[in-house]
Amino acid sequence: MKTCDKYKNLIEKYIEGTISEGQLAELKNHAEKCDSCRAQFERCILLQDVVKEALSSQTSAEQAGASIVARLSEEPNLRPAHARFSTILYSGKRAAIAAGILLAIGLLLGFVTGRAGKPARTPLTAQVPISVGKVDGTVLVKHEGSNVWQTMESGSYVHLGDTFHSSAKSVCRLEFEDESTIDLNQNSMLVLKSFNGQTQFFLEHGECTAALESPHGPFFIDTPHGRVEALGTEFTVTVE
Amino acid sequence: MAVELEQNMAGDHQLVRAALLGETSAFGAIVEKYWNMVMALALSKVSDTTEAEDIAQESFLKAYSQLINLRDPSRLAGWLSKITLQQCSNSLRRTIRNKRALGCRATSVKALDEQSAMTANPGLTQNQIQFVRQTVKNLPDKFRTMIIMRFVAGLSTVQIAEQLGKRPGTVRVRLHRAYKLLRKDLAPILEEVRS
Repeated sequence: MKTCDKYKNLIEKYIEGTISEGQLAELKNHAEKCDSCRAQFERCILLQDVVKEALSSQTSAEQAGASIVARLSEEPNLRPAHARFSTILYSGKRAAIAAGILLAIGLLLGFVTGRAGKPARTPLTAQVPISVGKVDGTVLVKHEGSNVWQTMESGSYVHLGDTFHSSAKSVCRLEFEDESTIDLNQNSMLVLKSFNGQTQFFLEHGECTAALESPHGPFFIDTPHGRVEALGTEFTVTVE
Repeated sequence: MAVELEQNMAGDHQLVRAALLGETSAFGAIVEKYWNMVMALALSKVSDTTEAEDIAQESFLKAYSQLINLRDPSRLAGWLSKITLQQCSNSLRRTIRNKRALGCRATSVKALDEQSAMTANPGLTQNQIQFVRQTVKNLPDKFRTMIIMRFVAGLSTVQIAEQLGKRPGTVRVRLHRAYKLLRKDLAPILEEVRS
């Protein structure tokens, strides 16, 4: 029985995709002799095959790749946004030189306009490790310093100072790297005020639900009526 | 396994970098690598194969146009899965809205899912395919993506954790729970296929 426990662990590893080739060979060898382990292992393989087959496509991956490349060639407008900027970003030395020049120009301008010496303002585009998860309906985002509202896209990242606005019957989820989430409910407006060791949101109106992974750092949701500090892991704040 | 993981991520990093430099063939390689995963995610939301293929194509085109927003290229698969699920939601909403605009009685999401299915592999019957897709569809969201990344894309729990930004332990637990649910719900199909 103890021997089979070992192979049941190997089957679990097989399911997880973390089994080594040597362990797999050992498992197969054992399965030939043990009916119980063989049945379990075969069921596991069959289940994977059945799911894979049911969710397969008629178009092969090669055909799909060729088709997308053809579309990209036909429609030059589809090229990645700011591709030239990315080129600079990815070219090591040139990026450092460009950054140095920009910094020098910035400092010079700051000095000329009499702003040198004042505390540096947080860059408008400071991206934080919070991504936009599920978006249902129309949820808009406005970056700090901008008057333009943009549609929130799932998979995009949040910036410091962003204001999120959900309309009627629209909700969205913000996902933190540690799996914590904030769900913005309908007809709500939420602002990310700070993300620097402590997380601070401002809920102007509406409702949001936070589900925080434990342990979490200082986490606050300010409202026009007061401040809510996260002590537990799951709570809802409503501002009417 | 660690070497394989590093190679996979380094590969994604290089492909993304090349695609951003304008090499469409590099993006073609990304499509080839993740087409099955994206298609499976789409098919786990909308059973109609043609619609799922449209969603998969649109997802890749959207990913290409927004590639600059991909903060960490080593999480390409997780990023693609989020885009695909969002495209699925948009597609389902659009279909229902179009039906309403045409004066038809709105088809429920469930009814849409029950439309005919086609697959490349003739091993399963149409009914069995529908049953399996419906079972996968009924899984909670957090389980479904992991099952597809594991069984279709062939990623290990460690790789899935990296892609989704979760802890490996969390992924392992969820994958086993999902596996148990599937094993229970698909038991009749497994018996039929085996016999």
